[in-house]
Amino acid sequence: MSAMVQVVLMAWNALMRNKVQTLLAMLGVMVGVGALVTSMALGKGAQEAIKDQLLAAGANMIIINSGNYQVERAGAGGSPADHASIIKPLSPRLRTAQWLPNPISNHSGIKLYRTHFEDDPMAEHDHPIASERLGDAMAGLGAAATLSLDDARAIREQLDGIEFVASGVHENARVAIAKTPEKQWFTRLHGTESQLPVIRSGWVFPYGRFLTQSQVRSAEQVMVLGKVVADRLFGENVNPVGEVLTLWNQEFTVVGVVASRSWASQPAAGDDQFDAVYIPVTTVHSLLNLSKLNTITVTTASAGETTIIAKQIEDLLRVRHGITEQMPDDFMVRTQSAQLLGKGLAPDVARIVAGNLESIEALTIEQLAASLQRANRTMLALLAGVAAVSLLVGGIGVMNLLLLSVTQRTREVGLRMAMGARSRDIASQFVIEAIVLSVVGGLVGITVGALISESLEQLFAWSTDVSLLSMVIAIVVAALLGTVASVYPAHRAAQLNPIGALNHE
Amino acid sequence: MSVISLKGIKKIYQLGDNTVHALRGVSLDIEEGEFVAITGPSGSGKSTMMHILGCLDSPSEGEYLLNGKDVSNLPPQELADIRNRQIGFVFQGFNLLPRTSAVENVELPLLYSRPVMPNGERHNRAVAALTSMGLADRLDHHPSQLSGGQQQRVAIARALVNHPSLILADEPTGNLDSKTSIEVMRLLQELREKQGITIVLITHEPEIAAYGTRIISVRDGVIISDEKNIPRSVDILEDLPPIAAASGY
Ligand SMILES: Nc1ncnc2c1ncn2[C@@H]1O[C@H](COP(=O)(O)OP(=O)(O)O)[C@@H](O)[C@H]1O
Ligand SMILES: [Mg+2]
Repeated sequence: MSAMVQVVLMAWNALMRNKVQTLLAMLGVMVGVGALVTSMALGKGAQEAIKDQLLAAGANMIIINSGNYQVERAGAGGSPADHASIIKPLSPRLRTAQWLPNPISNHSGIKLYRTHFEDDPMAEHDHPIASERLGDAMAGLGAAATLSLDDARAIREQLDGIEFVASGVHENARVAIAKTPEKQWFTRLHGTESQLPVIRSGWVFPYGRFLTQSQVRSAEQVMVLGKVVADRLFGENVNPVGEVLTLWNQEFTVVGVVASRSWASQPAAGDDQFDAVYIPVTTVHSLLNLSKLNTITVTTASAGETTIIAKQIEDLLRVRHGITEQMPDDFMVRTQSAQLLGKGLAPDVARIVAGNLESIEALTIEQLAASLQRANRTMLALLAGVAAVSLLVGGIGVMNLLLLSVTQRTREVGLRMAMGARSRDIASQFVIEAIVLSVVGGLVGITVGALISESLEQLFAWSTDVSLLSMVIAIVVAALLGTVASVYPAHRAAQLNPIGALNHE
Repeated sequence: MSVISLKGIKKIYQLGDNTVHALRGVSLDIEEGEFVAITGPSGSGKSTMMHILGCLDSPSEGEYLLNGKDVSNLPPQELADIRNRQIGFVFQGFNLLPRTSAVENVELPLLYSRPVMPNGERHNRAVAALTSMGLADRLDHHPSQLSGGQQQRVAIARALVNHPSLILADEPTGNLDSKTSIEVMRLLQELREKQGITIVLITHEPEIAAYGTRIISVRDGVIISDEKNIPRSVDILEDLPPIAAASGY
């Protein structure tokens, strides 16, 4: 070991005899390794971000919507003949549901109804004032709210492989600050349960916390604000926890603020997660005198079982809702693939992904992941290209230094040979010097790369991750670079004739 | 057994159409403890002879026995080993590594010892060699911080550090003033007298050759004279009065 240290020290001393040259060559290696580390950090960061996205969107998530507008949607552009094959006869329940609003299509005497207009993601947010809604089931949840808290409980209790279940009612709402009612904001309202943050793994709470189980159980008038709402009402970086807001003429205490963990889904006005407020589902039910749900969100313990469990949920709910074989579901069970496009993903990424696929409906998580991976790989290839070019330039720099060094030190080589150095000793001396130089340059390069990555993250909120593995790779690459760059100069030195070298001027 | 035994050594350089006969059949034996000075005009083949004696080059023809072993046709790696173990070189231009301490310069031959010499031993031997050259207080000095005489003493310490059987010195005083030259010659004489080391010195200056116990003259690649010599004594020289005073001016 000490012999090794000695060898390295000697190489270092030899290098330090020509400080300027050595530092210049090191600079080349440093730039190359720095670029390498930065690109690996960006690549890893992108990978992590995509994984976060998929997780946040929930590869293991099943969303059950009340109503079934897919039947309706499938009919929107096709011919009546197509519909006969797709559409099962309506359930008597639906057919007799005379209180449903505006039937939207009528083929062969079959009336199809869309669900509540606010379940349609394409619908504009209109904001009827709260008093119009309070106690009004029609305006409140819509007639097609066919799911109930009992359905949610049945899914939780009767099926295996379920991780979490969260019931949801969704509303448009106006919230205002109780003290200063002119400060108000129209937004989405989600009645939900305490487990939602676990399901939405991409959430963080800059202030306070999410609804607790006991708050949900006792239907407390507490509210968690999406970051957009908190910012609009109270201003950025103000802690609203403890403030009182009014909703439906009722007072609600703010208990938390929810924001996004991920770079790709930053809160924006109009988005469904962060331009929204969350209150206990039980509170919605008791205030609006309701028992129906718009959605039940389920996560499965394993992502691989999502499809099977989705089918089991469908069967369970059909039985619970008394739907016979001939009739279509009065609910819609979806794995979150299609929803992913609207939520959690940067809009331009979603657009690219959707644009590359034949139809959004056909989209699967795997395809989405593959598309993201492809985009990621393109970026990585670009960065790797930059790193490769920098390394090449660095390598040429090292080689130049060594060639110059061999020329300058020809007499030294001759002397060493006269003292008994074999060709091999001479060659290894130059190789070791190159490796020492490259590794030292590489260590500086790693530091520089880490700093650059950190700055990119700080300045542009890019996701980066300097892993230990990338540092090890960088050192190995630097050492290899030194070795390769030194082969030719070392060979030249080793081939010198001792007499000629000694007499070299 | 002779330390050196040359039989009919020839060295021919081919320069395009020109054939240069640098050595045209040199035979000689050098015994242990001899201080041989080889002299001759420039171009006479002294350096060529020294390269062959030093195993830096092989003869075109003839046989060279070093300590009884034929080394005329050995592969480069084996020649390197022989140089490392048996020969110490002293050059005209000192050939010390710049920006490197005296100790590290002297350690240089030991770096190539086989088997590998431990760091501690290497350092100790270098210090001992420098001390024997009167440089105990200059161990960490770089060549640029030493006088010419001191630099040549470092170089001699380096030549001695491997305990060679033969020291080859090519114009060792060529870069030194006369006073320092005398010092260096005195040192070489002492090495022979006290340690019995065989020395082969190459010089074109007859005054320097006079320090040897044997003087060989070379011309056009052949030995033209080979005589025993009573070595010039430094002490006698020093006892002489300064020239100016003696002449009475
Ligand atoms: N590498 C070489 N190639 C060709 N000729 C050489 C070479 N080395 C020496 N010579 C020639 O050999 C002769 C002897 O040279 P050298 O041994 O250096 O003499 P000296 O050292 O006595 O001056 C000279 O004519 C010289 O030009
Ligand atoms: Mg010469």
